Amino acid sequence: MNEVQTNINEVQTGRNSRDHHGKNAPLLPEAGAGGAPLTAVIAVISFLAAMALAALLIINQTTSAWTASLKSEATIQIKGESAEAILAQTNAAEQYLNDSGAFSKVRIISDDEAAALLEPWLGNNNVAAFLTIPALIEVEINARAGADLSTVYAGLVDVAPGVIVDDHSRWHDRLSAAAQSMQSIAFLVFALVLAAACAVSIFAARAGLAANRDIVSILHLVGATDAFIAEEVQRRFFLLGLRGSLAGLLVAMVSLGAAAFTLRTSINASNFMPEFSLNATLMIALLTVPIIVCLATAITARHTVLRALIDEY
Amino acid sequence: MDNTPIVAFEDAGLAYGSEAETLSDINLQLFPGEFRFLTGPSGAGKTSLLKMIYLAKRPTRGRLHLFGEDAVAAPRDALPTLRRRIGVVFQEFRLIDHLTAFENVALPMKVAGINQNQYIEDVSELLNWVGLGRRMDAKPPTLSGGEKQRVALARALVTKPDLILADEPTGNVDPAMSERIMKLFVELNKLGAAVVIATHDLHLVQSLGKSALTISDGRVVRSSGAGG
Repeated sequence: MNEVQTNINEVQTGRNSRDHHGKNAPLLPEAGAGGAPLTAVIAVISFLAAMALAALLIINQTTSAWTASLKSEATIQIKGESAEAILAQTNAAEQYLNDSGAFSKVRIISDDEAAALLEPWLGNNNVAAFLTIPALIEVEINARAGADLSTVYAGLVDVAPGVIVDDHSRWHDRLSAAAQSMQSIAFLVFALVLAAACAVSIFAARAGLAANRDIVSILHLVGATDAFIAEEVQRRFFLLGLRGSLAGLLVAMVSLGAAAFTLRTSINASNFMPEFSLNATLMIALLTVPIIVCLATAITARHTVLRALIDEY
Repeated sequence: MDNTPIVAFEDAGLAYGSEAETLSDINLQLFPGEFRFLTGPSGAGKTSLLKMIYLAKRPTRGRLHLFGEDAVAAPRDALPTLRRRIGVVFQEFRLIDHLTAFENVALPMKVAGINQNQYIEDVSELLNWVGLGRRMDAKPPTLSGGEKQRVALARALVTKPDLILADEPTGNVDPAMSERIMKLFVELNKLGAAVVIATHDLHLVQSLGKSALTISDGRVVRSSGAGG
């Protein structure tokens, strides 16, 4: 070969070969992999994935806050024949609850507060004058005490026979069940959206292979392995996926930011709508969307190509 | 000359789809350092025979051994290694249009995982030698037929293969370049590479005094000439 090299060296010299150092063009043309349309589809998919993931997290955060509040409080109602009997039982119950050490706060709801609570139903009258209104005791559970609350509540009957304890478990269980359903739906949407990204990648990779069949054949004939070709396709899809998913994520973040701002500034909504903001947890979770979408599209494309190439010689 | 053939056909045949065989009863051996022309009329099966050797088509019958390996039964992941030992100048060039001349020539190096710094000089010098030193950045659609053929030639030779196959390699170049190309093949052959050139140009065959296989109607009908 040295002779040939000598022969080669003798002939004309053109431009310096090092001019080509920077050249590293993709072996498969961009148009073959779907290009702009695929980027747009992945952007939409990423937007939907980000919204589903955000819904999942917001539901989780909100229900956690709600249920924690419900679980940490209980309302004790004391009924009796007369106002005096109720007052006696209430005082005894308050003493018992304080002595139990299971609660960080024990507060008797005053007559005025009780009347205010009843006002929507009974009006602004002196209801205590003609009705025997049960007394209410609001307690905050001291979780650190680790007391057996059922035993504490059972003992309460001895000092206040007309007692009814509402530990909010009914609401808590219903709320948890509803939240779990919504979380499952959000997760299903997220998974389906990712599956759609994979399906799109399969179609695009197959179309790309069909459009570039001649190039793939040339690559094989000059000694390329299937893995080399698949890697080229994978790199292309990863870049397309990254571009599209970042665009989708950006739109999703703007939408969520706008929604958070609207909820925060709307007085009526804040009473019953979940509160959320683009906090660090949510941001980090959302940033995983482009990574997941990129990997899903790239790996799917790679496997599609490898499977398709097996049929070739 | 080594006794182990680098190409060995045994009763090989090739059919496209369900049609009758394009090539039949091919029994042929090619040894390291051999130089052979493949002649015959258009449509005789020269290109099909080359396709089987460079592993674009699998024989539909019989056996084919390349570099001592059973190329018909070889696992798929063994084929790239075999193909890298073969340099092919395709009749229709088969260049990649969106790559430059430089990138097309460098393709076999790139797919073999060789670092660009290691082949930049070789690729540039080869392109200079074939007269395309100033067209390295040109893409195939902007090249003439002759220029494309020279790029294809450079691509086939850049890895210094053990076996060089050329399908009408002088079909689109002027006589002076044709002579240079043939001299290069002879020089590479002297350095140990086996060369098979398919051509219907009998003048070219006679001028080099090399052995020739003649194919007619899908069969090797004659082997003649001085030998490699």
